[in-house]
Amino acid sequence: MRLSDLYFLMPLLILVGAATLNMLVVAVKRNHKVIFGITIVAHLVAVFTLLQLNGSSYQIPPFFVMDGWGIFNLGLILLTSLFVTLLSYAYFEQREERKEEYYLLLILATLGACVLVISQHFMALFLGLEILSVALYSLIAYLRTRERSDEAGIKYLILAALSSAFLLFGMALVYAVTGTMSFPEIGVYLQSVSELPLLLLTGFGLMIVGIGFKLGIVPFHMWAPDVYEGAPAPVTAFIATVSKGGMMGLLIRFFSQADAYRYANLMLIFTIIAIASMLAGNLLALRQKNIKRLLAYSSIAHLGYILVAFLAGNRLGVEAVSFYLVAYFITSLGAFGVVALLSDTERDADQLEDYRGLFWRRPATAAVFTAMLLSLAGIPLTAGFVGKFYILASGVNTQQWLLVLMLVLNSVIGLYYYIKVIAAMFAQTKSVQERRKVLHPALSFASGGAMAILGLLLIWIGVYPTSLVQLIRGLLATFMTTF
Amino acid sequence: MTGSLFYFLTFLTLFAALGVVFSKNPVYSVLFLILTFFSLSGHYILLNAQFVAAVNIIVYAGAIMVLFLFVIMFLNLNMDTEQAQKKSVLTKVAGAISGGLLLVIMIAVLKDAEVGSYDPENFDSQIGLVENLGHLLFTKYLLPFELASVLFLVAMVGAVMLGKKETQQRHF
Amino acid sequence: MNEIPEVIRTIPLQYYLFFSSTLFVIGIIGVLTRRNAIIIFMCIELMLNAVNLLLTAFSAYRSDANGQVFVFFIMAVAAAEVCVGLAIIVMIYRNLRSTDINILSNLKW
Repeated sequence: MRLSDLYFLMPLLILVGAATLNMLVVAVKRNHKVIFGITIVAHLVAVFTLLQLNGSSYQIPPFFVMDGWGIFNLGLILLTSLFVTLLSYAYFEQREERKEEYYLLLILATLGACVLVISQHFMALFLGLEILSVALYSLIAYLRTRERSDEAGIKYLILAALSSAFLLFGMALVYAVTGTMSFPEIGVYLQSVSELPLLLLTGFGLMIVGIGFKLGIVPFHMWAPDVYEGAPAPVTAFIATVSKGGMMGLLIRFFSQADAYRYANLMLIFTIIAIASMLAGNLLALRQKNIKRLLAYSSIAHLGYILVAFLAGNRLGVEAVSFYLVAYFITSLGAFGVVALLSDTERDADQLEDYRGLFWRRPATAAVFTAMLLSLAGIPLTAGFVGKFYILASGVNTQQWLLVLMLVLNSVIGLYYYIKVIAAMFAQTKSVQERRKVLHPALSFASGGAMAILGLLLIWIGVYPTSLVQLIRGLLATFMTTF
Repeated sequence: MTGSLFYFLTFLTLFAALGVVFSKNPVYSVLFLILTFFSLSGHYILLNAQFVAAVNIIVYAGAIMVLFLFVIMFLNLNMDTEQAQKKSVLTKVAGAISGGLLLVIMIAVLKDAEVGSYDPENFDSQIGLVENLGHLLFTKYLLPFELASVLFLVAMVGAVMLGKKETQQRHF
Repeated sequence: MNEIPEVIRTIPLQYYLFFSSTLFVIGIIGVLTRRNAIIIFMCIELMLNAVNLLLTAFSAYRSDANGQVFVFFIMAVAAAEVCVGLAIIVMIYRNLRSTDINILSNLKW
């Protein structure tokens, strides 16, 4: 531990500092606005300090590595968390529960995800994962008096604890074979053996259970629809983006540092998982009437798409994953942001009926939601289209024809249910009266601003993707010299 | 002597673990779990991992199990709350069969696994002592140690937030 | 003072592998068959203990202290998880007067 390590860990230290400051403020006086302000400022400062680190590649042996991939993921996570915070204010202001702890837990969950993406050692990985999970248990069950939220909380709790036990057993077996817990040293060990020892394969298999659970991919996806429905809408947005993206970042780091792409049987497992996720996600979403569950199944399918690019296992594949993650984060935030925006004090706006005729009542919200759904479906001029195109390119590049075929087929299936929601929004309804009491406009200013920015970003990336591609290429230059 | 002690402790641990799973009364489950922890601590002492053995007793038997017992008594669950149902018998059988299959597969995989053994030349029996591990924990592992403190902060905030009684709530 | 513990000399490392796998599977069976959330949670603790035993055994046989430090962190994490988990269980009991997970079936498909 050197003094310069602290400089590179500055974004994480700022988050911890903000959490402590929030606690002190809560102890003096509970004030939603002040806590909200501190959280926003902390995120902005953390992003700012991250920008100072741009272009560097720094090791904090043996736990952390700050390279381009880490900085990309950190930036993505911090900005996403910032948007989730912006969307949360109006949502929680309407609710009578205590609001201040929410921000504290959100900051710490973000910290856990940040630790996860820069770790290169099992211990740091595990602690980051658990900080994220434990914070999520409380966040999911946050609205305590609602029946759905405690059910979602206990489901996530039991399954997450079970999956981390599997992950740990896998780690123990890997440690048993290789005698080390750091990714590069595991890579060195793998170089020295000609084929994967059986025990090590078992260890990796058990670790996939833990990783697959967090990613919410088939067959570890059972929790996703229930938790998405039961959790408060901003928390759902957080789970769909930061929690899954953080794990994806870790998975790619592990595979590239340990150079595990070489093993055909590991790749086969992920191929099956990817195809099953795409198919199951899209087919189960077809009959959904509940928007939150529909988006849950859609996110299972999207993680399947991302795995296609991951399986390419080369520089183009990682670029495609990065690009798709950005597109997917923006669209998920936007979609759940709309859900949060339309929710009233009793329940979240998660029924399809809540959206019928939305365009005639709230045209701006409906327009943003339409853009997000079109992006999820992969319609041209949106970020989702470019992302999907990028993934297709990486799949074709490595001749994974089966995966490419499934991706195209599933995009067509997916189109149906996204269009169904859009059609409902444009349907004429007889009862045009607004059944909810309208909030003070200043309250939803933060949410509205965030939604507008997300919508613009979506279109901008869709029309002019070059700048984002160049940013990603520049950041990835210090990552993966092996490819 | 130590060999037979190993087998005895192994038998005791597995017996107690089965007791945790199959006890009808949750309080018995907790007591069996405490027995499991103590016999595991015996294993750790045999392996000369004294620090782990002590922490196991203090953290698990001392803190976690007390918490479990407290909640069980707090909620007054000292009876068989799981009424026998047709459906639950089916899930029980299915669960037991799938678990057994998993065990068979794992043993089959691990049977031929090459795990190596100890190296008599460079063996160091002192690594599990408090002095050695404490030194490691505060030098090489300082960063994860600090992360663990953040984890406890999360757990504390979450537990207080979830467990606290609402003012309008009727029950305890 | 540097004599090799007798158990390491007489018992093959593989036995620990079998032992902890069995303990792990007993935990899984408990999670699958029991319906009381508190007991399910205890079974997860059993699984974590199986991992702890495996790590300690490997670390002792290899004279590599890293495994035992990891065990320490696993115990810390288990304590944190139990703390939040039991808070959620108490919260559910307040709402539903039960800790049976089969009552919780509002969320389907």
